[in-house]
This record gives sequence, C-alpha cells and structure tokens, in this order.
Amino acid sequence: MELRRIALICATLFLALVLSRGALAQQQKPAAPGFPDAPGKNVLVSKCFQCHTPAMWMDQRQDRRGWESTLYRMVGRGALWTEDEIKAMADYLGTVYARKPQ
Amino acid sequence: MRELVARYLSHSISRRGFLKGLTTAGISVAAAESILESLVPVAHAQDAGRIGADGIKVVEGTGGQCMAEQLIASGVKYVFGNSASEDAQFYEALVDRPQLKYILTPHEGPGAAMAAGYLKASGEPTIVMQAAVVGLTNAMGQMFNAFKEQTPLVFYSYRTDQSGRAGRDGFEEVANQEQIVAPLTKYSWLSRRADMIPETLRRAFKAAWTPPYGPTYCSWHSDLNDQRVRTEVIAQEKVDPRMRVRPNPAEVERAAKLLVEARMPLMIVGDEVTSTKAVAKAVKLAELLGMPVTQARQIYASFPEAHPLWVGYLPVGRTSSLDFPKDPDVIINVGNKLQHNSPAAMVPRGPKFIDLRIDSWSMGNVMPTDVPLVADVAYGLDDLTAAVSQLVTNSIKEKAKARHEEVRRFSERARTLRQLVSKNPDWDRSPMLADRVTAEIAQFAERDAIIVHEAGSVALHGFDFNPDGGRELFYYYGAHLGSGVGTAAGVKLARPKRQVICLVGDGSFIFGPTALWNMARLELPVITVVYNNHAYSGPHSRVIEKIPGGRMIQTGQFYHDYLGNPDMNMAYIAKGFGVEAEVAQSPAQLKAALGRARKATLDGKPYLIDAQVARVGVAWADKPWIPSR
Repeated sequence: MELRRIALICATLFLALVLSRGALAQQQKPAAPGFPDAPGKNVLVSKCFQCHTPAMWMDQRQDRRGWESTLYRMVGRGALWTEDEIKAMADYLGTVYARKPQ
Repeated sequence: MRELVARYLSHSISRRGFLKGLTTAGISVAAAESILESLVPVAHAQDAGRIGADGIKVVEGTGGQCMAEQLIASGVKYVFGNSASEDAQFYEALVDRPQLKYILTPHEGPGAAMAAGYLKASGEPTIVMQAAVVGLTNAMGQMFNAFKEQTPLVFYSYRTDQSGRAGRDGFEEVANQEQIVAPLTKYSWLSRRADMIPETLRRAFKAAWTPPYGPTYCSWHSDLNDQRVRTEVIAQEKVDPRMRVRPNPAEVERAAKLLVEARMPLMIVGDEVTSTKAVAKAVKLAELLGMPVTQARQIYASFPEAHPLWVGYLPVGRTSSLDFPKDPDVIINVGNKLQHNSPAAMVPRGPKFIDLRIDSWSMGNVMPTDVPLVADVAYGLDDLTAAVSQLVTNSIKEKAKARHEEVRRFSERARTLRQLVSKNPDWDRSPMLADRVTAEIAQFAERDAIIVHEAGSVALHGFDFNPDGGRELFYYYGAHLGSGVGTAAGVKLARPKRQVICLVGDGSFIFGPTALWNMARLELPVITVVYNNHAYSGPHSRVIEKIPGGRMIQTGQFYHDYLGNPDMNMAYIAKGFGVEAEVAQSPAQLKAALGRARKATLDGKPYLIDAQVARVGVAWADKPWIPSR
C-alpha cells in the first residue's frame, strides 16, 4: 500500500514536472500565430518580430526569391543578419508564405 | 544738391524723392541714378557706423524702414518672402540697404523651408515674410516643422490695415490673426504702434534664439508700415540673454558616479550635440568610458558613424530594439528630444537614466529621470567629462578598455553585415531598388557632402555621416512634407562650398518643388534626386498592417497611395523651373546621370534626377487599381 502510494506520488510529481516543463516551453515560445513549425521559423521569429507584427506576413505571398529580396531590403533598413540567417528565413517564408496558386 | 545728398543720407527723403529732387534741379535721369548708386556704399557705411557702443541707434522713417533697420541690427542678412503688397515701404527701404538681401520665394511653404535650411546650415538669424493670413497659412506647415525641430525662425505677416478696413471680416482678414499660430510658436505678438515695430521684432528674435529654440511670430496692421515715426533700433547682442548655462554641479557628480560604476552604459545623442558644436566632446566622453553610442530620430547625424563605439540608430525608436547592447544599466541622453511614436517608452524602466539637454520642459514627461542635467550640452559634456575623469581609477580604466573592445567587435561585425544590402537578388533591376539608388549616391557623394533627406520610406546607408568634418545629414524630423527642396536650397545658400544633395520621395517632392526656381535663379548648384515610385509607400504599408486581410487586400483596391497613371515626370517639372534634369531608369543610367549632375554643379547650375524606383511590398501590382470618377 505504502509502495503504491509512493509510486503514485512519484508518478504525480513526474507528470507535474513534464507538464510544467511543457508549460514553460509554451511560455518561452514566441507567440507566432499563423506561423507553422518548420526549419527557419525560430530565426524568423527572433529576428523579425522585434519590429513587425505577424500582419506583415499574412497578406504577403511571394516566391522564395521575392522573400529573399524583401529580407535584403530589411538589411537596408538596419537589420543585422548573416547570409545564412537570411537564407533560412527566405526558405521558410518561401514555403509557408509562398505565392498563392492563380 | 548738397542738401539733397544730406537729406538722403539721413533718411529724411526716400530714394525716389532724391531722384525727383535731382531731376527737378535739371540733372538727367541717367546721371541722377548714377549719383544715387554712388551714394549707396556711403549710406551703408554711415548706417553701419551709426550704431554706437551702446548698441542703440535712433531711426526716423516709415514703419517699413524701421523694420528693415531693426532686422539689420538683429543680424539678419537674408529675408525670405512672398510678394506682399502691403509691405511696400519695407521693399522701398531695401533699395538703399543692400546689406539686407530679399529672396522672393514663389510659395510660402518651400520659402519657409529654405529660410530654415539657411538658418540651420549657417547659424545666422533670418525672417520669413508672408502676405497677411493667406500667406501665413501657407507657411504654417513649415512653422510646424520649425516648432518640432526647435528651429529659431522668425515669421512675420501684416494684417488688415486699421485705418478703415479692419474689423469687417473683409478681404484677407481673419480675427485674432496672431493667435492662430499660438500652438506652433514660442511667442506671437501684435505691434500696437509703428514705433513699436522694432521692439516687437527684437523680442521675436530674442525669444526664438533663447534656448530651447523655436519659431516666433510677429504681426501688425499694414498701415503701420506706412506711418512715419522716430524710434530706436537696438543691436541683437544688447537684448540676447546669452543663455548658455552649466549644469548643476551636484547633479554632475551623481551622473559621473553612475556612469563610472555602470556595467554597460549607453549614450543616446541628438541635435543639441550638433547645434552646440559638441560632437568631439561627445566622442571624448564615450571614449573615456568605452561607452556605446546610438541615436534616435533627429535632424542631424550627431556622432561619427564610422567610430568603433557607434552601434547604429534605434531601429524602432526604443533602446530595447538595439542589437547591442542588449542590457544597458545606465543610459545617458545627450541633447536628443526623444520624440515618442509608440506607447512604449524609448528608455525602458530599469536602467538608470541621465538626461542632459537644455530643454527642461520635455524632461521627465515620459521617462522617469534619475539625473536631470539642464545645460548647454557643450558645457554639460565638459563638466561631466571632467567629473568622470576625477573618478576613473586604473581598474575603471581597464573595465572601460575591455568594454570598448567589446563594442568595437560588435560595431565591426555590424558594418560588415550592413554591406550585405547589395546581395539583394534584385540589385540590378529596373526600375531600381531604392537601396540601389541610395548606394549609388553614397558612392558618388563627396567626402564632406551635405545630404538633405526627405525621402520618407527610404533608409539611408553607406554614407558614414560624420558631423565633425565629414558628411552631414539634414533630416526631415518635423515631417510636414514639402520641405526637402527648399531646405536644400537654403543649405546651399549658407554653405556654397559644400556639395549639397537633396534626396526626396516623389510624394514629398510634389508638395514643394518651387524652390527649384530659387536654385535656378540664384545659381545654387544643388543635386536633387527624386526616388520616384509613383506612390506613397509608407501609407501603403501602414494601412495593410492596420487591417490585415481586409477588403483592400482582397480586392486590391487601395484608394490612397497610387500616384501613377498618368505618371508624374519630375524632370519636366524641374525644367519648367529652369533646372536641367533627366529621368534615370536603371543603375547604369543613374550613374551616368550623376556624372552629368556633377558637371552641371561644377558650372554653378542645379540638376535634378528623376530616379525610377520599383514599388515593393504587399499587394502592389504592376498596374495598380485606380478609383473611378
């Protein structure tokens, strides 16, 4: 009985730990509605949401090259990104916010 | 004839009266005019000598003449105005006062911008004159700019004469004319008598030029210009309070202690650094502490951008948006007005905040201030640097050195990353990227060029502004559009030996191109480059951000931003004002056009390039929708 009680307590603690870590992760994850998980998302969220709301992306649909051009224009406005970071963001946006089929 | 000469030199008779007297005495008109011209320098020298050591001169003449005399005594060399018939006696007075030059501007707005540009670039006082309230209201847009920018520009316009017309809601009349400018000026006043015109003007100049600077306005009924009076004019130095104040020493000690003990201090610079010629002093303090330096939106670039402690501009007007440093614990503002454009404070809660500037009125309005240093920024920096030096120990020196190195590493990396702008896959496209136009101009500009910037959606890069002997920036801080071309004309008038390049968006340009005519007439060789994308880009992006996914997006129907169909040709407009100009579609054409612009300016002629720029961003089509009639 005692063992079962200890086991139950341990299970509860483990579950609480898992849930709390999940909740923590949820809290730490930047709010980015409309931005599905995919490679490049984290770079985008950390670099672009500093200045822009998600609305900037919702209505913009273009191919990867268009996105790449947009990102380099942001460099002209003061964004400090490496070429690799720009590539990762262009890949992501070119996939997630690609031009809508006509 | 001797008596006539004496009366003319004592201003007892006018130029016309002198000529009439001579011709009545039998002298031909040509000979009389020749005699008159020979007397002008004598009259000038006599007038200049007449203000005694006490700075006071008694004048006798019309209200218009008294106005001219007081302007000379106030140190004014150029008057900017638009035709105002009720100022006839003032124009009459100008004829014999060649030291006071009148610049006729074909619209009051660009005229006031030209005056402000001249004032900012020369540091000299000037006045803008308009015809009654109808001219005044045209000038008020630039009065707003002067108020926001704290430019000490004096405005004057007469009001309806009180001898019979005033008070009837008559032609060009409005009640309480001097009151309509009240929210935009430091001082507005109506002269009650003709002999008070000089006094009113003196006070207008004194109020404008007493820190914090700002525009002032004076007015009087037009018949006062015609009345003959005897009154005093007084030299400006006899009324100027010369308010250059040192900061409170106890506060200086507190600020120095905070800075020395800081883990990561951050300096924000602003216009007062440039206007008090204190750039080298700001550099010295930053270097002493190994302190990174940034700047929020202002008119001038007030720190050398190639300096290793420069970390770039505040991207969205908040210190928290800087890439570096991320966690400053002490922030010092040196002379920046810190104009907020969002609910968030530019300086966040947390770091200690030191505010050094002359404008005590705006201190503490948004940010809690730990150490206020109300002072002339140049004196303030001197005192603060001295106090910091007293506290610097060897270990502090080592700490500052290590911090300097950390900032330098960031600064160098940032410089490399900024250059990536040219990797844009559309770099060579036509019509051009705005960034490409900017890069070409940055490469073209002389090492000490002055850039007047009123291209709202264009971020400058590659210029490496250095107010301490290098390239200088004049930005449109006030944001009432239509100031760029006028400002550039005024800057060139003040600094004729410097290359002046005006960068202006098509939307801004079309609000105020008339100063091109002044450039042509006065041979002010300014190079104007219009970033012409046939649209208002800023408002386009902002409405989309306000209503994402809205009906405008769905239908592509934007009512407010497309300026094409027909496309405006800015080169034709320039040619109409007498300025040589051309359209550049591609980077190669732009390079060639800049070469021709340089040649024209070396010949003393202004030049305009209509640079065709691509529309970029959400929902722009090649042929945008146009509202039907």
